[in-house]
Amino acid sequence: MVLTALDQLFAEEQIQVVPGEFHPLGNNGQWIAYPDSEKQISTILQYANEHGLKVVPMGGGTKRGFGGTEEQADLLLSLSRHRGIVEYSKGDLTITVKAGTTMKEIGDYLKMNKQMLPIDPAWPEFATIGGVVAANDSGPKRLRYGSARDLLIGLRLIYPNGQVIRTGGKVVKNVAGYDMNKLFVGSMGTLAVISELTLKLRPCPAYKSLAILAFPDGDWQAIRSFATAILDSQIEPVSLEVLSPSLNERLHGMREYGLVIAFEDVEKAVQYQVEWLKRHLPKNASLSVLSQDEADLWWDRFARISPKGAHPGSAEDQEIGLKVGSKNLDAIEVVSFCHQLGQELQAEVIVHGGAGHGISRAYVKGEESKLLPFVQAVRSHAESRGGYAVVQHAPLSLRQKVDVWGEKPAYFPLLEGIKRTVDPHSVLNPKRFIGGI
Amino acid sequence: MQAQDALIRELAVIVGTGSVLYREEDLISYECDGYVIHKQPPRAVVFPATTEEVSQVVKLLHRRKIPFIPRGAGTGLSGGAAPLGGEVIISLVKMKKLLHVDWENRLAVVQPGFVNLKLTNSVASKGYYYAPDPSSQYACTIGGNVAENAGGAHCLKYGVTTNHVLGMELVLANGEIVEIGGVPDAPGYDLMGLLTGSEGTLAIVTKITVRILKNPEDKKTVLAYFDSVEDASHAVSDIIAIGIVPAALEMMDKTAIEGVEAGNYPVGHPPGLQALLLIEVDGISAGIEDQIEEILKVCKQRNVIQVKVAENEQERAQWWANRKTAFPAMGAISPDYLVQDGVIPRSRLPEVLEKVEEISKRSGLRIANVFHAGDGNLHPLILFDARKPGETELAARVGSEVLKVCADVGGSITGEHGVGIEKQEEMRFIFTEEEIQAQTQIRSVFNPENLLNPDKLFPKPSRCAEVRKAVGHL
Amino acid sequence: MSIQVKDYPESQTKSNYLWEDPPDEDKFSACVHCGMCLESCPTYLETGHEHQSPRGRVHLIKAVAQGRIELNAGFEDPIFTCLDCRACETACPSGVKVGSLIEQARGQIRKSIPLTGWKAAVSKFFLRGVFPHPHRLHTLGNLIKLYQKSGMQTLARGMGLLKMMPQHLQNMEAVMPEVKVPVRKKYPEVAPAEGRRKMRVALLTGCVMDVMFGDINEATIRVLVRNGYEVVIPRNQRCCGALHVHAGDRDEGKRLARQNIDAFLAAGVDKIVVNAAGCGCALKEYPELLHSDPEYGQKAVEFAGKIEDVAVFLMNHGYQKPQGTVRTRVTYHDACHLAHGQGVRREPRELLRDIPGVEMVEMPYADRCCGSAGIYNITNPDMAGKVLDEKMSYVPEDVELISMGNPGCMLQMAIGVRKHGRSAKVVHTIQLLDRAYQAEGESGK
Repeated sequence: MVLTALDQLFAEEQIQVVPGEFHPLGNNGQWIAYPDSEKQISTILQYANEHGLKVVPMGGGTKRGFGGTEEQADLLLSLSRHRGIVEYSKGDLTITVKAGTTMKEIGDYLKMNKQMLPIDPAWPEFATIGGVVAANDSGPKRLRYGSARDLLIGLRLIYPNGQVIRTGGKVVKNVAGYDMNKLFVGSMGTLAVISELTLKLRPCPAYKSLAILAFPDGDWQAIRSFATAILDSQIEPVSLEVLSPSLNERLHGMREYGLVIAFEDVEKAVQYQVEWLKRHLPKNASLSVLSQDEADLWWDRFARISPKGAHPGSAEDQEIGLKVGSKNLDAIEVVSFCHQLGQELQAEVIVHGGAGHGISRAYVKGEESKLLPFVQAVRSHAESRGGYAVVQHAPLSLRQKVDVWGEKPAYFPLLEGIKRTVDPHSVLNPKRFIGGI
Repeated sequence: MQAQDALIRELAVIVGTGSVLYREEDLISYECDGYVIHKQPPRAVVFPATTEEVSQVVKLLHRRKIPFIPRGAGTGLSGGAAPLGGEVIISLVKMKKLLHVDWENRLAVVQPGFVNLKLTNSVASKGYYYAPDPSSQYACTIGGNVAENAGGAHCLKYGVTTNHVLGMELVLANGEIVEIGGVPDAPGYDLMGLLTGSEGTLAIVTKITVRILKNPEDKKTVLAYFDSVEDASHAVSDIIAIGIVPAALEMMDKTAIEGVEAGNYPVGHPPGLQALLLIEVDGISAGIEDQIEEILKVCKQRNVIQVKVAENEQERAQWWANRKTAFPAMGAISPDYLVQDGVIPRSRLPEVLEKVEEISKRSGLRIANVFHAGDGNLHPLILFDARKPGETELAARVGSEVLKVCADVGGSITGEHGVGIEKQEEMRFIFTEEEIQAQTQIRSVFNPENLLNPDKLFPKPSRCAEVRKAVGHL
Repeated sequence: MSIQVKDYPESQTKSNYLWEDPPDEDKFSACVHCGMCLESCPTYLETGHEHQSPRGRVHLIKAVAQGRIELNAGFEDPIFTCLDCRACETACPSGVKVGSLIEQARGQIRKSIPLTGWKAAVSKFFLRGVFPHPHRLHTLGNLIKLYQKSGMQTLARGMGLLKMMPQHLQNMEAVMPEVKVPVRKKYPEVAPAEGRRKMRVALLTGCVMDVMFGDINEATIRVLVRNGYEVVIPRNQRCCGALHVHAGDRDEGKRLARQNIDAFLAAGVDKIVVNAAGCGCALKEYPELLHSDPEYGQKAVEFAGKIEDVAVFLMNHGYQKPQGTVRTRVTYHDACHLAHGQGVRREPRELLRDIPGVEMVEMPYADRCCGSAGIYNITNPDMAGKVLDEKMSYVPEDVELISMGNPGCMLQMAIGVRKHGRSAKVVHTIQLLDRAYQAEGESGK
């Protein structure tokens, strides 16, 4: 047994053989390891590096359907036991956490201190901060609060050779050396295993409201001109997310295009902005406003619309999720395009897109024969406008048929060079990333 | 003399004879940037006007294995654009156009030589602005801002350059032209994030797409005077603790106030102050009054001597001009100064300032403190006179000691000025040999022959690392 | 710890300034090389070259003092390409006196590298031969007048003789104002105040001003007298010497300064009023020019304390708001030596706003140099032309008048108007005020 050497260093339950069942999402391992310290992660990686093993790091498993064409690697490295808050400095608005800590744990902890980590990814009770950063997940509120790359200030990483490398630091402003943090955000665990993360926080807003506009005639041009007016005004929405009629129906019971505008500020400022919306409301559009806890509940529901990947065997394994990047306002057209395409293909599609930040996501259920053309059509639509479409969730079988990342960019040799430099033996997440990195 | 130099001739073929400098008297002006302690002339300065020309120049230099340095306005404070001797400077000041503004998508495309403040001025008519506002924004270029990941007084709320760059066109070390970014989260490693702040060691940026923001509906600026630095520091922490995110939160100590009042933009601060805070809150008008009230309350609890809100834009502008010219204003009270750029967790402010004061006393050099207190970014200005033998070295040593203090409380050696030449050795205060190597390995991917701004940013490999390698363990 | 310091300590080197009155060390060591001046400098904006920027020039001036470079042509070029517009002094946070450093450096250069050939001849003829001598200047003026009046101008223009002159001289010829009778010939030495005398002041009539722009001097006298000021026109006054100091001829500049100090102090006036920005600035800087002069150093301080630009003078000591209407759209150009040299920006604008009927349109970058800069437009026509083009691009389209407070600028802006096919007329601020007073008579009765 290859892992004998490791067996001696770990408690029995920390390294187990993965039962031989087929996992529809792939990215599996022959063994699964549950290290509970940085030292253990380092030992495992060093061992793997020396023995030519392939390692798939995993947090809560919500991104298991994201990238990768292999059914299984040698070792599944679960960070679920490497969790907890390492250091919290309330006065400095920073927190250091272990990678396996879930977003919900972090959020609950900070809430007691009236602060928050303003990243709003899917499935916060499963998704770990390490996974969210590695896959660069984000939600509608990135419009105002930014995404992982804007909030991450420091990392402790385990390089494939077992070295512990720190990048960035613990202070909110830092330009010493290269901004290495950025390399690991969205790197899909192909460079190093994240052990600890230091992040910037914000005070919890004193008041929150959520305005949901519905556009009855489904005229996305009307949404576009209203979104443009909002962006050109001085109100400061936290989200400006367009929902497809199907998604709006699921969340809000109205089969119409939705525009979700959140405000988070002191109460007077929030009220003023809601009033502004009422004053400028387009003809035909209807408005409903949720405040405080009601708004939070709505966001909780919103975070559960995507396939979560964490529980194999469920129907959602067969769904696909697409992430489309575009210029800000093009997101509206992306939503409408995906929605209409779903109708044409008679597939069940829900879509949302950020008019102020340019990231859209579409989730599709249907037979595989419909899924492939869906991906291709969305991709060519996005690419024709200078954007991209990435398959962020799909069963392994489909991932083997379509390149989830799309065409390699012209600068691909640089990406390849980075991978080769950091992980020369291709230990981590082989073939999980763009161009087969 | 060097007109016969084949290199100069070849450069002139690419950019035209008027766009190459090579005479000794002309080169001497390029021997340093805003960091004046290190001076060495370049071999030539070349002024390409297009991306294609940059590419041609780089290809030529790459072929001849001649090192080169991209340079903007040369306002950098760590020597990032200063030659170590004999490099060719590629000056990007002739590429200074605003290429395009996309109002709906709130972005602007500029050439690297476009001056920071000009962008705000160009989009101001429609109520927009460009957020990163380094104090040198009247002169510094956006290309330089990208190289240094420049910050500014308002980055407390709005972030630094890297948070505002959306896309880039690059000329790589071999002359190849590539475009990166353009849309958010482009698939692949975040090269744009890596490039921003790489101090011209990875590529030359020839086109930049940046975010422009709508002006906040309202802004209010508060000036608060204190007779103890400690009270002022506590006021800073208290403001953050009550949940306010000010757009800016700046502090100056006694010596700094003396400097700005002697400089060209005095405000008329009362004499004898120990510290002042300049606090700005912006956002939705309806919410600002309350925040100002809370700030005033905090200041009073911390024994403020006098606190006032700017009555109009003119007064606000005057306060900011006073603050933004604080570094060079030191020229009015000292022949030379060295500015440091340490960062600390803001909760450690009082203790760090005490240590800085000790260093000042021990060395006999005055230190003025100007800083972005909100994000813990200290700018100790070490005042010295280069004409006195040994004083320059002393100043540099004092600067290094101050950075050690910052590093020891868990901070950083630079928050926005970059490492350049100045802080190469101090990188060891915060990074291990392996961590530095992890970074130089990345440099090798982009700049394998170390031709692009060579030997900057990182310390020379230490002997112990070599020993370790030789012994072969770890 | 290794500290990397690679600099050139002065102690080890020897200055290459070999003549008296070199660039002042305290002045150049105040420069901290921050670069805040770059974007204010017209020649840097044009060239993008560091050595054609204020910071670069100061750096070179320092390098010569450190003995690192010679006083040679490579140094001469950037130092003489400077417009001496002083915009950098406004921008400079540490208050570096770039203008006087440049002038001191020019003094050293002219001693070390005297002009030769036609440049020397022209320079000598004007700077030594004409400007210092009022009667010669007037004679030259008369010749020009003859040229204008005799029909020779028409003839010359008709025959295309002018085509043989360089473009910028052609342009200058085209806009040259009609030469008037100088006020020094036309007015008595003392023009009494109207009504109760408020104060006794002297007027600097200027050399070129009085010959080319005698009507501005007349307007100035009328405005002053109208407001109760008795105006003395000292007969022994000379050219202010600004052009000489700019050109590096400091000896002649000093000689003229001493003559003027004597002439004006003898007049027994409270204030000396100046209507030409460049002259006003130069007069205020006499103490610096003569700082090492044991006899005149102190006198120069007393003298300089009396100097006031006419707009400032009126604001400080009172004037009647005109009742007459001048219906026009005006933009205001800040002459460098008012805005940057003397910090005068508000007063001329207020004067203009006080005139009934005047609609003020602010010009963007109003304090950007027009390229006139003394005789710069003659010595550096290419650069002056580029600077002018930039300036003209900021002049609002729909104005009828461009007002300013400096004759050199007036000539240059008139060239700009012609070159760019614009319709606006160039006017001195005080002329507009005068016109408003004249209009009182018309409408009042």
